[in-house]
Amino acid sequence: MTSTVESTATRAATPAAPAPSRLRRTVRTSEFTLVALAVIGFVALTLTTDGNMLSAGTLAAFFRFLAVPMIIGLAQMVVLAIGQMNLSVGVLTGFCAMVAAWAMLEAGLPAPLAVLGAMLLGAAVGLGNGLLVVFTRINAFIVTLATMTIIDGLRYGVNGPGTYQDYSAGLEELGQASLLGLPVVFLIACAVAATVWFFFARTVPGRHLLASGGSPFAARLSGVSNDRSIVLAHALSGLLAGVAAVLTLAQSGSVNATIGDDLLLPSFAAPIIGGVALAGGVVSVLGTSLAAFIVRLVDVAQAQFAINRRWVDLIVGAVVLGVVLSGAIRTKLSRRSS
Amino acid sequence: MLLAEGLTKSFPGVRALDGATLQLTAGSVHALLGENGAGKSTLVKILTGVYRPDGGRVVLDGRDVHFGSPLEALHAGIGVVHQERNLVPGFSIAENIALQHLPNRLGMVDRTRMRAEARRCLDLLDLDLDPDTRVAELSVAQAQLVEIAKALSVDTRVLLLDEPTASLTGDEADRLYAIVRKLTATGHAVVLVSHKLEEVFAVADTVTVLRDGRSVAQAQPLSGYTRDEIVDLMVGRAYASVELTARTVDRDATPALELAGLSTRHGHRDVSLTVARGEILGLYGLVGAGRTELAKALLGLDEITGGEVRVHGAPVRIRDVGQALRRHRIGYVPEDRKGEGLFLEQPITRNVGVTVWRRLARFGLIPDRAERDVVAEYTKLLGIRAASPNQLAGQLSGGNQQKVSLAKWLAASCDILIVDEPTVGIDVRTKAAFHELIARLAGQGMAILLISSDLPEIVTLADRIAVMGDAAVRGELANDHDYDTVSQRVIRLIHAAPAPV
Repeated sequence: MTSTVESTATRAATPAAPAPSRLRRTVRTSEFTLVALAVIGFVALTLTTDGNMLSAGTLAAFFRFLAVPMIIGLAQMVVLAIGQMNLSVGVLTGFCAMVAAWAMLEAGLPAPLAVLGAMLLGAAVGLGNGLLVVFTRINAFIVTLATMTIIDGLRYGVNGPGTYQDYSAGLEELGQASLLGLPVVFLIACAVAATVWFFFARTVPGRHLLASGGSPFAARLSGVSNDRSIVLAHALSGLLAGVAAVLTLAQSGSVNATIGDDLLLPSFAAPIIGGVALAGGVVSVLGTSLAAFIVRLVDVAQAQFAINRRWVDLIVGAVVLGVVLSGAIRTKLSRRSS
Repeated sequence: MLLAEGLTKSFPGVRALDGATLQLTAGSVHALLGENGAGKSTLVKILTGVYRPDGGRVVLDGRDVHFGSPLEALHAGIGVVHQERNLVPGFSIAENIALQHLPNRLGMVDRTRMRAEARRCLDLLDLDLDPDTRVAELSVAQAQLVEIAKALSVDTRVLLLDEPTASLTGDEADRLYAIVRKLTATGHAVVLVSHKLEEVFAVADTVTVLRDGRSVAQAQPLSGYTRDEIVDLMVGRAYASVELTARTVDRDATPALELAGLSTRHGHRDVSLTVARGEILGLYGLVGAGRTELAKALLGLDEITGGEVRVHGAPVRIRDVGQALRRHRIGYVPEDRKGEGLFLEQPITRNVGVTVWRRLARFGLIPDRAERDVVAEYTKLLGIRAASPNQLAGQLSGGNQQKVSLAKWLAASCDILIVDEPTVGIDVRTKAAFHELIARLAGQGMAILLISSDLPEIVTLADRIAVMGDAAVRGELANDHDYDTVSQRVIRLIHAAPAPV
């Protein structure tokens, strides 16, 4: 009600109740919680494995296999930004990887062109998703559920159950290369993340996208085209899936029709744990990346202690559910107290 | 009948109620007044079981009561119509009215009884609506009336109305207050929370004024006060109503905005209006008259099927708000500021900046500094009170939110502004400041179309008044700012028989 909102605003505006200090505010952000969680997890894992985590090989592998979950989390995040979902990110990554591998091996395309093709293919499929949502006005969940199923079939169609390998020595070299002690694929992922951050923070289409996600009504009445935002978000999501496909090709050395199957849950886990609002309008590139890091820690723990893979899925799934629930509870509580 | 005594309630960092007292007697209308933040809503929420008080007591019919939930308050006979809508849009009117106590037979909803019950409640309000209509299809005002019908559906003895007429026009308000009087005649007690003092004086018998969580006047007969005295009590200082400087409008020049014989898909017929530069045209009408819809059609959000729109003399076809803004510099401040005017989860900066990003952008990038400067300029110009430009719009008071909603159009240097119900639910002092602001903008040459159901507001501000009814213009009159004569003429136009189609 207006009167209580007024009182909180006055409280914030009067010097009598000073705003919390910069340090206090930093500590309260969800990103800070995630950094703390990541550090604690990393230290704990290092200690329990007698420092094995810090050996060059383990550390490099840790970051190398962080690249794809990070990008795929961002691919989901850009669609969550407009309050929608993209269920096809995982299979699309696999499909793009398979098509690029096919292009290099069967069609004899040079690796740089295949890489470009994979990204364009991802963007095109994403664009298709967006246009379908806009023109049919069907819920993005349903549209991408359908396209997911279609792409799943196409992905298998590229090479049946067969595996592609030795498609490009250069690409595989890139996948193993390190710069300043960090895997190049991870650095690429970081650069992509920075670009996504920049897109939302400083570009007109990025801001419009967040406006559409925050309130489509207000956006429309402010001269923002929601349809354009929707199409753009899906196209970007597809593009990022294409990037993830390229990184997968580089780091794994071989691809088959199952690539991407295990990416759907992580694609939601990273942004949701990272503090991205499911309702749209609020994104956090840093939070999404940190959350991907934490999920990766769980993966490593699974490998180190030979825990059943299914347990990891169970834990990650439970954490995602927990975060969503606690978010809902927090909203409820803050509504009640205001 | 009901006594709430020495109520205190604190929220983190703020004391909303500080020993407030409210006393109700059966068979009377009691006005609960106070500025935004005075504690009215908190008091209402305590009486209806939404909040528990930190201290003090509530006595109903001589017994101490403690409501643990809104349902308990309801069963004790305290019904409430909150300021916000509390209806399920996808349900029918009947289902909404019966929601709290669905009549059932063997576990199945008894639809016949439900519909009959809804019919009874609607008849109480003389509402000619089909109980099977989905609430989503109703206008804001109709939904508000259904909400009131819903509160009456329980065996209510104390009815709390929080800004019940915020979205109603005089006619609906009168009808509502006739019902209120009928209720008090049968021994009900009604608490009326309203910013519209005219209505309060017309309806209420006694008054409690809250200021800073305390009762500064307590169950006093309203007849002992003048309007100015009440306002003084509310704001705690002598309050002078705004004297707006007279403006001169050059009506011979090409009008800034002209509608010529416009008809729309919504059902507008042959609507002709003109707004000159520096002029405020007040658009008054019954709710459902199609004023907001006309504005939206003008902005390309609904289809125009005939006639012509001219901006500065040139015929235009506006496709969407972006085009209205960028090509014709028309801005629209919507009625529903929370739903349509603001991005509540985003900072003030983004809310104001949204209309200027494209203009500021260099190669698609928004220079931080340029945006900050623009936002700072208009925050200052409009006197938006906030901790920082990064404060979320949702955390601002209603008045400040409305200023943010307006600021984005000023930042975009609009010279034609459509303002839709700008002061609904805004306290007296902010309202006066807003009126000054609108008059000042017109004084600077802006053409303003003021859509309002608040007749005093229109009479204060407008140069001319157009009256709309049933999606057509009923008539137009010059405004000499004499409330009594002008309001009579407006009301006569409203009740004139509609022109034959």
